[in-house]
Amino acid sequence: MSTGVPGLDAVLNGGLVSSGVYIVVGEPGAGKTLLANQLCYHQGRAGARCLYVTLLAESHARMLANMRDMAFFDPALLPEGVYYVSGFRTLEEQGLPGLLELLRREVRNHNASILVLDGLVQAQEAAGSSRDFKKFIHELQVAAGLARFTALMLTSSNGPTVHPEYTMVDGILELRERTMGVRSWRELQVRKFRGGATLPGVHTFRISNEGLEVFPRLEARVRRSQPPAPDTARVHFGIPSLDDLFPAGLAAGSSTLMLGPPGSGKTLMGSSLLAEGVRQGEPCLYMGFYEAPERLLHKLAAVGMDLGDAVKVGRMHIVWQPPVECTLDVLAHQLLSTVERHGIRRVFVDGLSAMGQAAPDASRMSSFFAALTQELRYLKATTIFSLETPRLFGAVLDMPLEVGPSAVAENLLFLRHVELEGRLRRLLSIFKLRDADFDSSLREFVISQQGIEVQPPFNSTLDTLLTGLARRAPGGHP
Amino acid sequence: METILVVDDEQGILEALADLLREEGYRVLTASHGREALERMAELLPDLVLTDWMMPVLDGPALVERIRGESAWAGVALLGMSAVDVGALRVQYPGIPFLQKPFDIPALMRQVRKALDGGRASLG
Repeated sequence: MSTGVPGLDAVLNGGLVSSGVYIVVGEPGAGKTLLANQLCYHQGRAGARCLYVTLLAESHARMLANMRDMAFFDPALLPEGVYYVSGFRTLEEQGLPGLLELLRREVRNHNASILVLDGLVQAQEAAGSSRDFKKFIHELQVAAGLARFTALMLTSSNGPTVHPEYTMVDGILELRERTMGVRSWRELQVRKFRGGATLPGVHTFRISNEGLEVFPRLEARVRRSQPPAPDTARVHFGIPSLDDLFPAGLAAGSSTLMLGPPGSGKTLMGSSLLAEGVRQGEPCLYMGFYEAPERLLHKLAAVGMDLGDAVKVGRMHIVWQPPVECTLDVLAHQLLSTVERHGIRRVFVDGLSAMGQAAPDASRMSSFFAALTQELRYLKATTIFSLETPRLFGAVLDMPLEVGPSAVAENLLFLRHVELEGRLRRLLSIFKLRDADFDSSLREFVISQQGIEVQPPFNSTLDTLLTGLARRAPGGHP
Repeated sequence: METILVVDDEQGILEALADLLREEGYRVLTASHGREALERMAELLPDLVLTDWMMPVLDGPALVERIRGESAWAGVALLGMSAVDVGALRVQYPGIPFLQKPFDIPALMRQVRKALDGGRASLG
């Protein structure tokens, strides 16, 4: 049974099981009520009848007022599709047996296939003992099985552990808000689920006018099967002097990591792969964090890459996400869904470092990157990731990420600056290129109005070049 | 003293409405669903029934139907209230005035007065 919460059905391996009894646990404000309502209106639209029973002080009018601006809310479904009643007084006066009777009777009266019990903690408090509470849950399960309704019980969490009384239900979803420094984000975890393998671990979700949107953890949802065999097609940058360094080109569907300090030409070099794709008639995607689309297009046009028309006709796509408070799985979702939707063949992710900053847990980056490149490989998109190195000059090769990304990327390009004879020069070297021969010599490249041009190799040793403080030995290229 | 029967399954709202109406000088009876409301009416005939629409056991529409079906209660004025868009309810039940939840106190008092003054005639 679909929950109507984007991403949640994927986490639950298809949705909730009909006639199951589920607990949604989380602190006040975690999004439990919203999730349950979203489910009700989604199912209500499909013709189901939902009964929403509250045991809380919040009035139905206020609850509905809070949902009025939500995209999923549909007043036309009230009261037939979604029916709200309060069970508070019954619980107060008749305890759990009375509440159970009310639930059974109201489900029958409304012919409801979905029951939400909002405020289970009140029922728990009203129970004389944990045994009584277990009995209540058990009897509700029996009723759900007989009357064929699916029950969702919402309850506040009281501490880090899930109550042992809850373990008898068919599933437990936990919603929580996490905080680190001044930042906070929302997480969903499936603590228990009968009848299917759910995606393990913690998944991010956000709340907007669309309601809840869950972004399944990329590493958990990535396909386990072997990616398709590499395409025999090859991909070029469309810059003759650059393509000459590896005439066979990049393997289509491969991923390339392009390292370099700020200003070393990563954006232009990565974009040239897309410009060539556009020339070849391939849908391309630029995903960036720093320059807004207009500014980027202007910058590219200044070096002969006019992609404005390609953007207008929808061949070139730009996803721009300012590097503030973004969430890793949301970014992955944006990227992969755009690639899938538009059949994108070439991708340039300008700023893997910005993506890394979106992860509160830096140690996650390696596995995340492996999963992301794996998915892109499935989608047969040739991808370049630019990655900023912190050092502007120097002999030390900084790898700002752990070993993972460089091991996962099939191709590794390194851009750097050197100061030579009073001029700042840009150098390019290819460290690794899978399935193709390449020229490993250190090359200078220049950027002009005509674009990028790679210079012939230095024909003498510049033994101090990589210190960034190079001196020319006699006879080098001009 | 005019008697008002307030029917609502939400305890907080029921108590608040009862207090407000008592302060205004009405005698107030309460019930948390339709069946309880019918029991109260059998004990003491109210001048007005102010009822919520979505309730357990016996809901607003069913309560209204029962009241209208009983000739002894023909003189009882009715006033509905709901968190559901009452526009549709007004079309469905043209003889009954509705209050859209949430409402403010002056609107409540105005509607209660109006229902008490004109309700019987319109139902007649």
